[in-house]
Amino acid sequence: MFKKILIANRGEIATRIVHACRSMGILSVVLYESEDISSLHVRLADECVLLDAPDGFLNMEAIIRIARQVNADAIHPGYGFLAEEPEFAQACAAAGLVFIGPSADTMEQVRSKINALYVVAAAGFTTVEYSEFSYGHDELSDIPQAAAKMGFPLVIKSCRGGRGLGERWVDSAEKLETVVRNAQAQSLDRYGDQRVYLEKGILPAHQVGVQILGDKHGNLIHLGEREGSIISRGNKIVEESPAPCLSDEQRQSLHAEALEIARLFNYENAGTVEFIVDADGNFHFTEIKSRIQVEHPLTEMRSGVDLIREQIRIAAGEPLAISQDTITLRGHAIMCRVLARDPWAEFMAAPGELTRVRFPCGAQVRVDTYVYCNAEIPLIYEPLIGKLTAWDRDRTSCIGRMETTLQDTKLIGIQTNIAYLQRILESAEFCDGTYSTDLDVQPFGDRRQPIEHYRDLAIIAATLYVKRNQAHTKNEMSTQRNGGWKQSARRMAMRGE
Amino acid sequence: MYTIAVTVGGHDFEVTIKQTSPNGDRFAAQVDGIEHDVIVPDPGQQGPNEWMIVGDRPYEILFDEDLKTLRVYSGKHHIKVRDTRSAITRPESGDGRVKAPIPGLIARVLVEKGQQVSADDALIVLEAMKMENEIRAPRSGVVTSIRVKPGDSVVRNTVLVEVS
Repeated sequence: MFKKILIANRGEIATRIVHACRSMGILSVVLYESEDISSLHVRLADECVLLDAPDGFLNMEAIIRIARQVNADAIHPGYGFLAEEPEFAQACAAAGLVFIGPSADTMEQVRSKINALYVVAAAGFTTVEYSEFSYGHDELSDIPQAAAKMGFPLVIKSCRGGRGLGERWVDSAEKLETVVRNAQAQSLDRYGDQRVYLEKGILPAHQVGVQILGDKHGNLIHLGEREGSIISRGNKIVEESPAPCLSDEQRQSLHAEALEIARLFNYENAGTVEFIVDADGNFHFTEIKSRIQVEHPLTEMRSGVDLIREQIRIAAGEPLAISQDTITLRGHAIMCRVLARDPWAEFMAAPGELTRVRFPCGAQVRVDTYVYCNAEIPLIYEPLIGKLTAWDRDRTSCIGRMETTLQDTKLIGIQTNIAYLQRILESAEFCDGTYSTDLDVQPFGDRRQPIEHYRDLAIIAATLYVKRNQAHTKNEMSTQRNGGWKQSARRMAMRGE
Repeated sequence: MYTIAVTVGGHDFEVTIKQTSPNGDRFAAQVDGIEHDVIVPDPGQQGPNEWMIVGDRPYEILFDEDLKTLRVYSGKHHIKVRDTRSAITRPESGDGRVKAPIPGLIARVLVEKGQQVSADDALIVLEAMKMENEIRAPRSGVVTSIRVKPGDSVVRNTVLVEVS
């Protein structure tokens, strides 16, 4: 087994991997950029090293150099950043380091999405309909014909997978060129490759992924599926397992199909085989995610398997400790992503300092996060600040537990999407499990409250007003400069109130 | 003793309020002739109050600096608060200066000087937290100045555009 693992990631997933290492008696080394020094992973690891490189966590050379300096024997890439780059896996091997993930060869095959679709379709499975070719800047003129052949709506996707590039929908020929140009620009910016391809859009649909684990000894198992159909501005925000859109019979055949598809790529380590399930219950393979996924706690809550620990064991050459027969998937799990985005300002980014923090407590509730009271939410990373996962014996009880969990969670100092998550959980479509990718929940509710509720709000507002006036008077008497609303009270006074 | 007029949820309330403890953690609020006890725990704290008890009902609250919105478990509510002793009310929106609500990097400027814009038109794309955030016009008018260009780093409250 490894003695020391370098974690080439940050935030909640780095914290999660530190925990797994510690539970296995393996030393952990984390990296941080100067903006990120107050994140939890930096405090909890056995060693922390400043990553001083212009492109930070995308800089393979800097990361491998540090890994060698600290005498690590393996690198865990987490998700995002370099997790799905076969070149990184190769560079690790060349430097004598074990990359904790699939083989570089498998990663190469599934990173090219057209290739993966081709291999899977050739083996006789149903895939989403996709364009035969990919297109660069100089091939824009070929796209309308291919689009017309496939029909709208279409999804424009980058040929290079990974790092969560949102898919772009087009519903008419007029918008096609603009959308393709934007997608190419973003793909070039993120992956250094502008090529995109077209996929036939399926609506309404369900996005379902099957968690798989394979070792170096030919054992391959699944750990059930997760549904991630609720997407807001490019982020999946509420996910659950099992998927409410599947019958038990469909579920079994989906799991079997996922295993067969994974075998086509000699898959080892953790991965997710993803499908679109259409309104008639047909599965369409879309891609393989060759990494640990953000939503992996759902599977851990139901199976009791620590997926990060398994990833490390598999990479060290150990056989799977569990077999398909010994896995029991119990009950229901729901996970909500807490994002620093303001649901009342068009989901704008909301960086800043957390002044007060209260995380949920109670049985069967799990929190994955990198923040704590007085921590700074950096401006330069993605807006995920934590994940709340609840487990219960059935879906209805689990929804109730998740609602309590959301209400218990308080993050003061920045805006978060928690109130929006609450609205999704109480929507009729979520409650009865009939939602799909076209679920549309508005952040503002039109639920009327009894007049007594508004009377209480009026009393609260009046009390706040009075307290502010008192603070204002007190401030005038002292020269002390206080932050926040007291300053604002002074500004109001200057405006003549 | 204050008499405060509050509009919320389409209802107008008049709240008469007085402090009932020396350290400022208890108030009595009268609405329509009925008195309600208000407890404001932790009165000496820095920063905004985050919870309050009205009658025997606890409320976790979040409100903006200008007391224009109030958030509780039932959602976010627009409020209007006015001291009945002063006749002055603030205008709905301030001047036409559009400021950066968060720090970030200017990704794109979508308007030109002299351009006519309508309320809610996108003016600037501000990049932060790996996302593109659209900054929109607070009201209709003409763009009289553009103070930033793509690639500029801005701090919170930097004036980006003026609309008059």
